Amino acid sequence: MDLITQWLGWMPNLTPGLVISLQLTGLALLIGFPFGLLLAVMAEAKFKPFQWISFAFVEIGRGLPALVLLYLLYFSLPDAGITLTSLTTAIIALSWNTGAYASEYFRAGLAAVPLGQKEAAITSGLSGWTGFRIVILPQALRISTPPLAGLAVLVFQGSALAFVIAVPELMSKAFEIGSITFEYLSVYTLTAVIYGTLTLIFLGLVRILELRLGRHLLRN
Amino acid sequence: MGLSFGTKAPPTALSGEVEVSGLGKKYGVIEVLKDVNISMAEGEVVSVIGPSGAGKSTFLRCLNYLEKPSSGTIAIGGARVVAGEKLPDKASLDHLRRVTGMVFQSFNLFPHLTVMENITLPQRKVLGSSKEQAEEVANQLLKRVGLPEKAKAYPARLSGGQQQRIAIARALALSPKVMLFDEPTSALDPEIGLEVLAVMRDLADEGMTMLVVTHEMHFARDVSERIMVMGNGGVLEIGPSRQVMSEPQNDRTRQFLKAVLDR
Repeated sequence: MDLITQWLGWMPNLTPGLVISLQLTGLALLIGFPFGLLLAVMAEAKFKPFQWISFAFVEIGRGLPALVLLYLLYFSLPDAGITLTSLTTAIIALSWNTGAYASEYFRAGLAAVPLGQKEAAITSGLSGWTGFRIVILPQALRISTPPLAGLAVLVFQGSALAFVIAVPELMSKAFEIGSITFEYLSVYTLTAVIYGTLTLIFLGLVRILELRLGRHLLRN
Repeated sequence: MGLSFGTKAPPTALSGEVEVSGLGKKYGVIEVLKDVNISMAEGEVVSVIGPSGAGKSTFLRCLNYLEKPSSGTIAIGGARVVAGEKLPDKASLDHLRRVTGMVFQSFNLFPHLTVMENITLPQRKVLGSSKEQAEEVANQLLKRVGLPEKAKAYPARLSGGQQQRIAIARALALSPKVMLFDEPTSALDPEIGLEVLAVMRDLADEGMTMLVVTHEMHFARDVSERIMVMGNGGVLEIGPSRQVMSEPQNDRTRQFLKAVLDR
């Protein structure tokens, strides 16, 4: 009972941190997923420079640990005369990281749409962008949804890394409480419960979404 | 020809005839299609038969540039394209594809769209039809292929034969001048294939110009006016259906027909 009381007592301090974590995650996904789709389309473009640009962004974003990317941006941007808040820097780093990984999932989804679909789109007059948008993309997105949902969870959990550049997110709030009360195990256990619960709820929602997206493929 | 057709151009009075000359396709040094010539009158049905690897599908797919031919001239229903190193300009390509409708062996319906959307979306995007106009056309076509009750179904719920009939309706929705069929019944069991063949027979009776790659010898003999036999990338012979079936001139044709008819 003491534990519950203790945890409830900490919640007012942790909640603002959780809000920042969710904002950071939400923005990283909101920017990272479309960025990833753009990188995927550029990677398949006939125009070579597009391929190179995509390659560079994807390989740097995937090649570097998110933590290293965070530090690099945080310490290098001011030298380049760009001063951003730590939250903005974290959003950029996580979006890049997210986009790089997402682009591979989008590419896999696009590649999994049978060639016959593109041919049927062309012969139905739906060539180019229209055909891509109406025929190919919806089918690719359905295929990419499960891995992208998994990525979204990783981004949420990875948002804890922003702690190291002083973003006042959930993890940093937990650390603050720990350093005042010395109840590190207790406060980190609570943090784990919060991350775990939200992750499981999110994955449950994704499962429902997947079923809805796949409804048209059911035979009966 | 100085015709320029935007994608939304209304169908104009086009002849509906096919004139293909010297059509060839090479992959590197390998010639998969060589010097194919055919001219078809409006309303004519021609079956293309021959052993696998003969270039039948490649020939058909070159006609609407699903594959790029290396040489030759294609004139279909008022659209005209000269093959060469470069792709033709977009307007000519759009025009060529606009006057041809294609039906695939594997149907290729859009699985995430209902039957109605499969048939109406191309009309709305290509012809600029309103939703109501497009649905009216779709309902007529669904009646024509005998599936008026399937408008709201998704393709996965339909049998192969039904999917192929919907695919024919989708192709017809853009009022093509010529219909290209690429082994439309090869993925179907023989009995189900009959319902597709019946729709194609009706279409032929109504005067549609059709080019049909097929292994259905009864259809080739009874429905098409002429048969074109292909082998090794070229045309072995072409002539009136019954004549080609009963008195083939070419040895390879004889061998192929014997194999097909004796089974």
